[in-house]
Amino acid sequence: MGIQEQYRSEAAALLSSGEVKLVIGFGEGSTADRRRPLFARTPEEAQKFVLDAACIANLSTYLVTEGLLSDGKKVAVFLKPDGIRSVNILISEAQLKPDQVVILGYAIDKAEITALEGRNISDFSLGEEIRSHTPPPHILQEAERIEEMNPAERFEFWKAHFSKCIKCYACRQVCPMCYCRRCIVDVNQPQWVSTSSHTLGNFEWNIVRAFHLAGRCAACGACDRACPVNIPLRLVNYRMGKEVIDAFDYCAGENSSQKPVLASFKQDDPETFIL
Amino acid sequence: MAKIGVFVCHCGENIASMVDTGTLVKAMSDHPGVAICNEYKYFCSDPGQETVKRAIREHNLTGVVVAACSPRMHETTFRKACAEAGLNPYMLELANIREQCSWVHSEKNQATSKAIEITRSLVEKVKRNNELKPISVPVTRRALVIGGGIAGIQAALDIAGAGREVVLVEREPSIGGHMSQLSETFPTLDCSQCILTPRMVEAIQHPKITVMTYSEVEEVEGYIGNFTAKIRKKARYVDMSKCTGCGDCIQKCPVKKIPSEFECGLGKRTAIYTPFAQAVPNVPVIDKSRCTYFKNGKCKICEKSCQIDAIDFEQQESVETFEFGAIVVATGFQIQDTSVYGEYGYGKYKDVITGLHFERLASASGPTAGKIQRPSDGKEPETVVFIQCAGSRDPSKGVKYCSKICCMYTAKHAMLYTHKHHGSNSKIFYMDIRAAGKGYDEFTRRAIEEDGADYLRGRVSKVFEENGKLIVRGVDTLLGKPVEVAADMVVLATAMTPQPDAKQFAKRIGIGYDEYGFYNEAHLKLRPVETAKAGIYLCGACQSPKDIPDSVAQASAAAAKVLGLFSREQLEREPVVAAVGETTCAGCWGCVYACPYNAIEKKDITDRNGNLIKQVASVNPGLCQGCGTCVTFCRSNSIDLAGFTEKQIFAEVMAL
Ligand SMILES: Cc1cc2nc3c(=O)[nH]c(=O)nc-3n(C[C@H](O)[C@H](O)[C@H](O)COP(=O)(O)OP(=O)(O)OC[C@H]3O[C@@H](n4cnc5c(N)ncnc54)[C@H](O)[C@@H]3O)c2cc1C
Ligand code: SF4
Ligand code: SF4
Ligand code: SF4
Ligand code: SF4
Repeated sequence: MGIQEQYRSEAAALLSSGEVKLVIGFGEGSTADRRRPLFARTPEEAQKFVLDAACIANLSTYLVTEGLLSDGKKVAVFLKPDGIRSVNILISEAQLKPDQVVILGYAIDKAEITALEGRNISDFSLGEEIRSHTPPPHILQEAERIEEMNPAERFEFWKAHFSKCIKCYACRQVCPMCYCRRCIVDVNQPQWVSTSSHTLGNFEWNIVRAFHLAGRCAACGACDRACPVNIPLRLVNYRMGKEVIDAFDYCAGENSSQKPVLASFKQDDPETFIL
Repeated sequence: MAKIGVFVCHCGENIASMVDTGTLVKAMSDHPGVAICNEYKYFCSDPGQETVKRAIREHNLTGVVVAACSPRMHETTFRKACAEAGLNPYMLELANIREQCSWVHSEKNQATSKAIEITRSLVEKVKRNNELKPISVPVTRRALVIGGGIAGIQAALDIAGAGREVVLVEREPSIGGHMSQLSETFPTLDCSQCILTPRMVEAIQHPKITVMTYSEVEEVEGYIGNFTAKIRKKARYVDMSKCTGCGDCIQKCPVKKIPSEFECGLGKRTAIYTPFAQAVPNVPVIDKSRCTYFKNGKCKICEKSCQIDAIDFEQQESVETFEFGAIVVATGFQIQDTSVYGEYGYGKYKDVITGLHFERLASASGPTAGKIQRPSDGKEPETVVFIQCAGSRDPSKGVKYCSKICCMYTAKHAMLYTHKHHGSNSKIFYMDIRAAGKGYDEFTRRAIEEDGADYLRGRVSKVFEENGKLIVRGVDTLLGKPVEVAADMVVLATAMTPQPDAKQFAKRIGIGYDEYGFYNEAHLKLRPVETAKAGIYLCGACQSPKDIPDSVAQASAAAAKVLGLFSREQLEREPVVAAVGETTCAGCWGCVYACPYNAIEKKDITDRNGNLIKQVASVNPGLCQGCGTCVTFCRSNSIDLAGFTEKQIFAEVMAL
């Protein structure tokens, strides 16, 4: 039995036994190489799940839908390691309870799909894998190229990209870490971030989001894929993540008991920036 | 409609010489919402304040901006004036056009436009100010004194003497600190123990003082007037309520060869011990790491020897929690680890010792009963070389500062040595003689003139052994010649350094320290015994190197501060506190971790039937110090700080 069939029947079993109220997975998409989220509430619906190398989205973002988990019932979800990493972060930020999430884990290597062992978040120890995880070579190359620029060139690079932003907030909607009930950009008393999409306002928005994700990004690349104008958002988050590792030896999502890095203090934190 | 009064102060010439106040007044008078704008030479003076008050009444002002100096100087003055004129004191803002403008600029036109911008931005802020009421919080009138050296003892006695409860925490088995190790004390040469022990006894017998020895402060939470401290009492293995201090157990303990910390290794102690004969409390402790029973499970000879069954091998350490209103930190110093001075042969030659060793040799209750004998062979040394500044004022060894006491105690040592051993020969290498203090210069002179101390100005480069003598090689910079002295003993006046754990301890209780680990006062000149954390005070050598008179004076000063605080039952606090917007809070608990005062709790939001809908953050206004950390942390912008609301700050920034 292939992994797709295995997970279809497992999902069906979870639903028919009543262990979970919902399974979040993938279904057919608009084209042959696209997959769309599928929400199964009955064993029959579970038969429509698809699992193949095109299932790259990070479905953990649906777990933080307002009210979804407030009844205390469980939800199962198809997750790749980066999705599991986001679940760790969400648990450490009190957005999920570990026991409410059943993980149907899988990994994609080239076109090969393998099932991951374990169903509860505590079964996965991702620590080392996450630390050694590097973005795909083309991203790394691009990151290094930007690193080598002088500040003026770098500013021009980002200005060119950010000026394209249409403030659709797709990056925010798709991001599991953007679970705020009300985003800072929606605050209009006072209006910290201007809403129109001119370069200044776009800078404000994209930089605020970069700061908000520092030490929290799971590197799933969802924002990058969602952006309709192809702003390489993951480069920003990659750089911030590196900064946090260097300064605090902290890698987001290694486990679910981490304390938020920018909110917590340790007695031996470096204080080089305090005069 | 806003009716704002703007009052532009000249501060004599301080502001008016660099800012064109006429232009500023004109610009403000035209600004929307400004009902009246005046200038005056000194608004802080009585007539100046009267002008403000009159304007508030006559124009029914809704807000006041005084364009003058820093709010640190006169915010209170003008708040009071506003209140007297019937305006809520929090409807006042100070536009700082002195420290932040006239004092730091040299071009009048530019300074004037900057003054206009600063004042305008505060006008925009004050338009959005809300009336606030001070918060009053109760004061727990009990003090925690940490460290039982002379400084801590003095502070505790003064506070208790005024009728307030004190808990005095000392981590060693006895109180007394370094002073109990000293022989005689400069500048009067009275015996240290003789003047210290009465204080120690007074402290332990005082009905208002609870002395907790062999204990450490583990955690401090809260704020001025309302601290909670956890104190860990280490296991002594001797029941304090039973022990009479007879010492039978100490006599019988078979482990007798442990180098005594109190004697700086010059004497020995047993595994069950009191550090010194006059220890307070006079109750021994068992050193678990050395006790045969704890090591091998056999012995308990002490238990058998104790007539009243005071020994309790089952005793456990315990943690007690107390409430305090104020904390006095008196954790003292250590002497520098002299091994950094390899060239002086410390640790290599037995007869190269520190000043503290010398105190023990000279002490009547010390290991030699007050005879100056060399540690190597017990002989009386004929020639002793004292090396001052062995560590102090030497950036290459990490200590840039002057330890302040070594000039004095070296003179004392030379004197004691001559008194005890006539015909002796003491040579002192020094950089300068710093003897500022009552009777201090006279004291060093006496050492030179009456007791024959031979002072050589210069530094020592090397100490080495030759034919059973310690050869001290140095330069006499006054003669400009190299010198060599063949000595029988060398005494290093090592630097006074902070306790090795001083920095960690400071972080634990939340006070600041300097690059070495000495604790920072709030202001070196004007607030020398307060720390930057309200309600925590300092005294003694933990703040900087100090001798006994200074330590005691500072201890009494700290006690006076504590008693001032305790003179009231309630404390008025600034109403600048944070509040969470519960509809938008995502319950991420970032602010809960971030708050340095643990002022944020988790709160359940339930529906009408009591079902939990969500959890949100909630600020306890009694604990919040208004630092704003949580505001900056909250991603969804769900927290606001009264008196510095986002709307106010935004208006302020946008007016620039
Ligand atoms: C060799 C020598 C000779 C001296 N001679 C003279 C002299 O002749 N005349 C003179 O005026 N001064 C003299 N002094 C200086 C004198 O010793 C100090 O001024 C005095 O001891 C300072 O007192 P203190 O209470 O601040 O510190 P300490 O005496 O160091 O007492 C601090 C106490 O706090 C305790 N402690 C530390 N950390 C903690 C903690 N975390 N929790 C609980 N307890 C803690 C320590 O165990 C200690 O008991 C001499 C010093 C030296 C080194
Ligand atoms: S997805 Fe792209 S265009 Fe849309 S808000 Fe984000 S960065 Fe801007
Ligand atoms: S950008 Fe920031 S405020 Fe907005 S949703 Fe994401 S984390 Fe929250
Ligand atoms: S940081 Fe903001 S969103 Fe998070 S718990 Fe605190 S108030 Fe709520
Ligand atoms: S302002 Fe916020 S972080 Fe600061 S003390 Fe108050 S609650 Fe804590």
